[in-house]
Amino acid sequence: MKLQRRSFIKLSAAAVGAMGVGGVAVMSNRAKASPWYHKEVKTVYSICENCFWRCGVKVSVVGNRVYKADGYKENPKSRGMLCPRGQGAPAQTYDPDRLKKPLIRVEGSERGSGQYREASWEEALDYIAKKMLALKESHGTESIAFFGHGTGDFWFVDFLPAAWGSPNAAKPSVSLCTAPREVAAQYTFGRAIGGHEPIDWPNSKYIVLIGHHIGEDTHNTQLQEFSEARKNGAKLVVVDPRFSTAAAKADRWLPIKPGTDTALLLAWIHVLVSENLYDREYVEKYTLGMDKLIPHVKDFTPEWAEQITEIPAGVIRDVAREMAAQKPRAILPPTRHTVWYGNDTQRMRASYILNVLLGNYGREGGFYIAMPPFLEAFPTPPLPLVPAAGGCAGPAAVTEQPEGFRPRADAGKFFAQSTAIQELIEPMITGKPYPIRGLFAYGISMFHTIPNVPRTREAIKNLDLYVAIDVLPKEHVMWADVILPEATFLERYDDFVTVAHKTPFVQARFPAHEPLWDTKPGWWIARELGKRIGLEQFFPWQTFEEYLNTRLMSVGLDLETMRQMGTMVQRGRPWLTDWEKEGRLPFNTTSGKIEIYSEAFAAAGFDPLPKYEEPQPVPQGYYRLLYGRSPVHTFARTQNNPVLMEQESTNAVWLNTEEAARLGFKRGDWAFMINPDGMREGPLPVRVTERIRKDAVYITHGFGHKGKGLSLAYGRGACDAHLQNHYTLDRISGGAGLRNNFVRLEKAPRPRLRSVVQIIRERRG
Amino acid sequence: MSEFFYGIPNTEPFWTGLKTLHYVLVGLAGGMAVLAAILTLRQHPDRNRYLWLAGLFILLDMFVLWAGSSARWYFSQFWLFLSFEPRAPIWWGTWGLSSALASVGLILLKTWVPLLKRIPEMLLGTVMLVGGLVALAYPGIALVVNENRPVWNEMMLVIFPVTALLMVLAVAMLLGSAWARRWEVMAAAVTVALLVAYPLTLQGEAREHFMREGLLVYATAGVLVAVALVLFRNPRLAAGLGLAGAVGLRWMLVQVGQIQAPGL
Amino acid sequence: MARLAMLIDLKACVGCAACSVACKMENEVPVGGSRLWIREREMGTFPNLTVEYRPEQCAHCENPPCVPVCPTGATYQNEEGLVLVDYHKCIACSACVAACPYDARFISKAGYVEKCTFCAHRLARNEEPACVTTCPTYARVFGDLDDPDSDINKAIQAAGQGHVLRPELGLKPKVIYVNPPSKQGLTRKEAQL
Ligand SMILES: Nc1nc2c(c(=O)[nH]1)N[C@H]1C(S)=C(S)[C@@H](COP(=O)(O)OP(=O)(O)OC[C@H]3O[C@@H](n4cnc5c(=O)[nH]c(N)nc54)[C@H](O)[C@@H]3O)O[C@H]1N2
Ligand SMILES: Nc1nc2c(c(=O)[nH]1)N[C@H]1C(S)=C(S)[C@@H](COP(=O)(O)OP(=O)(O)OC[C@H]3O[C@@H](n4cnc5c(=O)[nH]c(N)nc54)[C@H](O)[C@@H]3O)O[C@H]1N2
Ligand code: SF4
Ligand code: SF4
Ligand code: SF4
Ligand code: SF4
Ligand code: SF4
Ligand SMILES: [Mo]
Repeated sequence: MKLQRRSFIKLSAAAVGAMGVGGVAVMSNRAKASPWYHKEVKTVYSICENCFWRCGVKVSVVGNRVYKADGYKENPKSRGMLCPRGQGAPAQTYDPDRLKKPLIRVEGSERGSGQYREASWEEALDYIAKKMLALKESHGTESIAFFGHGTGDFWFVDFLPAAWGSPNAAKPSVSLCTAPREVAAQYTFGRAIGGHEPIDWPNSKYIVLIGHHIGEDTHNTQLQEFSEARKNGAKLVVVDPRFSTAAAKADRWLPIKPGTDTALLLAWIHVLVSENLYDREYVEKYTLGMDKLIPHVKDFTPEWAEQITEIPAGVIRDVAREMAAQKPRAILPPTRHTVWYGNDTQRMRASYILNVLLGNYGREGGFYIAMPPFLEAFPTPPLPLVPAAGGCAGPAAVTEQPEGFRPRADAGKFFAQSTAIQELIEPMITGKPYPIRGLFAYGISMFHTIPNVPRTREAIKNLDLYVAIDVLPKEHVMWADVILPEATFLERYDDFVTVAHKTPFVQARFPAHEPLWDTKPGWWIARELGKRIGLEQFFPWQTFEEYLNTRLMSVGLDLETMRQMGTMVQRGRPWLTDWEKEGRLPFNTTSGKIEIYSEAFAAAGFDPLPKYEEPQPVPQGYYRLLYGRSPVHTFARTQNNPVLMEQESTNAVWLNTEEAARLGFKRGDWAFMINPDGMREGPLPVRVTERIRKDAVYITHGFGHKGKGLSLAYGRGACDAHLQNHYTLDRISGGAGLRNNFVRLEKAPRPRLRSVVQIIRERRG
Repeated sequence: MSEFFYGIPNTEPFWTGLKTLHYVLVGLAGGMAVLAAILTLRQHPDRNRYLWLAGLFILLDMFVLWAGSSARWYFSQFWLFLSFEPRAPIWWGTWGLSSALASVGLILLKTWVPLLKRIPEMLLGTVMLVGGLVALAYPGIALVVNENRPVWNEMMLVIFPVTALLMVLAVAMLLGSAWARRWEVMAAAVTVALLVAYPLTLQGEAREHFMREGLLVYATAGVLVAVALVLFRNPRLAAGLGLAGAVGLRWMLVQVGQIQAPGL
Repeated sequence: MARLAMLIDLKACVGCAACSVACKMENEVPVGGSRLWIREREMGTFPNLTVEYRPEQCAHCENPPCVPVCPTGATYQNEEGLVLVDYHKCIACSACVAACPYDARFISKAGYVEKCTFCAHRLARNEEPACVTTCPTYARVFGDLDDPDSDINKAIQAAGQGHVLRPELGLKPKVIYVNPPSKQGLTRKEAQL
């Protein structure tokens, strides 16, 4: 009886409890929606487009939305990991600020006034074609320039201009990025460094970084391998006027006076030579010009360099000896962004010569020899011009002038064959050497990327036709006559990305879902436009799958197999020994050897061996403006990405503690940056820090957006390009040295900015 | 030494607005329940008036709690009653307030529902008293368990119940209940003593932080209560000042205490 | 019973925030709150400087102060030592937020508390947490402290010593830091007040 009663109570309690729980469960179920990973998830191979490193990614798709991107092990770029920007990349596609429909500037409205009407693709493309054909008639095909960057740049900067007949095609990744190091490499090794720096990090024992702020510069594979090297016990020396992240990880930090690196490099060469520490055998076997180098560096003593660089001679000597002790597993990897002071090709030459003295090129722990993968182009009738824009993989190796076309409008301004995008702006204003009247801007931040922004604005105002192909209403986009909204990288196929590498590889991008809005892939836009301007014959394929499949057939693959793989890896010949087995050397210089002394430079009137040149001095009351990368942002392309903006929503100006005290800046203060021409940027927060020299200030590149349609990016931080009214042209490579620019700081009231969190919440609706 | 973040660390105050208001109101709710319980147990003529007030304050406090919760439309609050979590102060607070509310309700309903007359009033009064005391005590406990937040030290265990009594007695005085005065003077005196003592119990950075962020409100509250103590000849003014002081003090302690201990 | 833990090698970590973005995406972490963030501290004077990059997240304490204060039982500790939240039971009262000494929790607008789960849903599929798999510097090691052969125990051994934040509280947190660039960083005495 007792028992019965108890169990009755229990039972009824349970019943009441169950009802309660059931009711609560029903009512509170809304609290947390089922997460995406519990739904039906499809996996698609793609290539990250949040920077130009192009990691192979595997994206997780539910319906019309990608929730997550991951690296995959089989891909030699991502190797299963992604950098912060890659992790956040999918958010770009679902940005409510995206360009959604083709737009045509209202007839009669001024460029930059932002008045647009929606148009169909037909109308927009017809409009462009009509203007292009008219320009061809009046000024010739060369009068249209093609600027662009990104995976789709093949169509707009390589293929279309070559088919159309304009040599004026350029990418910012040449003269605003790698030109000096690539030209120096061509003339030293007869080989490009290439877009994927061929450094055998994991086997290196001693690494010297000149600038090169890895850790903030988060090129994925490079960061991974840099970390492997450190794990494996490599010693790290960082030369930087700022205590960068890399410096924070270094065994030695050399806070060099900005712009004096060549002196340091020469002093190191001096020590290796004078103390006989270099790899004699290597130098004798593979190089030319050592006999000229020895007397050349005689006076470049550490004591001489100390006066210039402000690095103690003893330290210079020690580092030289330390690196020599580890040769050939000691290396000075080339920085990627090398356009610093205008004499940059010579600095890069000095760095290569030092590497050569360490005997590391083509040896483990040094540079490996990167080979491009084998993959045929799609067979088309011969193009009237050879694509010549080059890229971060180096200047195109085009040497002859095409017949029947005017030479590139920047010809003669500098020695190398590389294109200099900034030199193609002037002809839009002056009409010299001949007028450029039309411009395509495909995936390039015209007002953040190219220095001397006022000039760019004036040039664009002068044009007869300005077309922007982009994904966001960036300021420069909202100046265009016609705006073509491209589908994002998640929504489109692109041509294969082929990477010269230790293990050369081909990777593919497959669409994760249909394009949102009325947007189209670049290849589609190029083809449709091509058909309208009489280039139909160059687009013989009917579908893009056909195009891709045909290319894959040249390596015995097909598109459906590739869809399951994402990446196809081939074998390479990374070491000198691999080449010697075949009885040849990899150096495509005139002499077939590594050229320490450059006859070609001598013949053209340049120093055949590098010399130190003083950078422009800092004017009284000013600081040298240095800039670099934020690990969570890419250039000026990610400042409207909600996930990345939540990580970091503005740049800040780094100012040395003592200078801050002198100027009365405290932590939490805000400032304007003003250049000697009176251009003002900001306000932005001041980062009072010990981590920078007193003669320079530093900001990360990419903030300070002025496009009103960018709800997150607009008005946050400062843009370095707007303060870089001047650049120093490198007469050898065409590179635009950006670090001879100066600013002063002025106190600013704290701006009334709405928090990005608030805006993101509202944008979601 | 400077500090910089990627991402947003969760250092924003978590008890703000209505949630802080709850820490004020729960004093009135619990305190009123205690008053009503004592009056009930003593068969005091003012009893009904305070029963109604207790019920009202408890309901108001519960409403504020509900309205201030971002879970308000999910009704997950039911789980408070379906779980047994005796280690959690808030669980006690829930049961304290609701048992007090239930007994208040039952006593008041007796007028209309004859069946309820059979429940002994002493029992209901006792439950109300216990519930009310729990509700008085729990906020201080809920703060003090956070060892990582040094502003909320053991003094909270006293300050919160005492200021709660200070508040309800002030209300009683404002309503003209003469018996409240004697107790209110005592509550005010104890409060002033606590206010003098409390800062001495803080150490190091917790003290610095408290002085920087809270001193103004704290001192003002202290002055108000002290003035009330002096002005007891004018009961309404004194009551008003005491009430304001207690409200400000509770609010400030909850706000300023949301700071992590040093050494993270 | 296992004691799952996260090791972060501060010598390797460059503070790039790949982990924190990965966490946001993987877990659809609501805007305005973080399960994971990175603190960067600068120590010393020019030119003798140290910088510590320190990712922080819920440490799944063995003695979690956030569990006993939860009035609904929404916060609990599971068999593997994970401290988790049952979102349906959570009433967003913030008692646990107050109790956590690491600022690991926040209330989402959707009405429940959020924090790092050690990616329990991935563990269930035998995958490592999202922040671990993406870290480009190999700074993170995830594993079982009870298994002497686990990578995490090996990593602690290799480093010689593991550090936790605020050891004086005795919570036995299971986010373990190794190779701090300077002791000053981990045990700094000045407040974050
Ligand atoms: N997260 C992220 N990563 C990126 C990118 C990005 O947008 N975001 N962009 C990628 C691209 S395309 C490029 S080109 C690279 C660029 O990245 P890097 O190739 O690393 O660029 P650098 O200009 O070498 O590095 C900038 C550093 O140089 C230092 N510096 C400035 N002046 C001098 C000087 O006179 N001497 C020395 N020794 N150092 C100096 C600055 O303080 C700063 O730390 O980054 C790549 N990685
Ligand atoms: N002042 C200054 N100038 C610099 C640098 C610097 O550090 N400081 N760095 C230099 C270097 S190293 C480089 S490599 C260059 C890089 O220069 P850019 O290539 O111009 O760099 P981003 O700012 O990334 O510009 C990318 C543009 O592409 C758009 N976009 C993004 N995704 C897509 C897409 O899928 N399709 C299309 N059509 N458009 C897309 C973006 O909205 C943005 O407008 O800048 C150089 N210029
Ligand atoms: S480095 Fe980062 S942003 Fe660039 S492609 Fe790779 S994952 Fe994407
Ligand atoms: S991803 Fe790795 S290196 Fe980057 S912040 Fe996180 S733990 Fe550090
Ligand atoms: S870190 Fe905080 S939230 Fe995580 S278990 Fe410990 S106390 Fe709880
Ligand atoms: S916020 Fe949720 S999980 Fe935290 S204590 Fe309250 S009910 Fe428990
Ligand atoms: S374990 Fe998962 S939930 Fe926790 S911080 Fe890492 S990614 Fe976020
Ligand atoms: Mo670049």
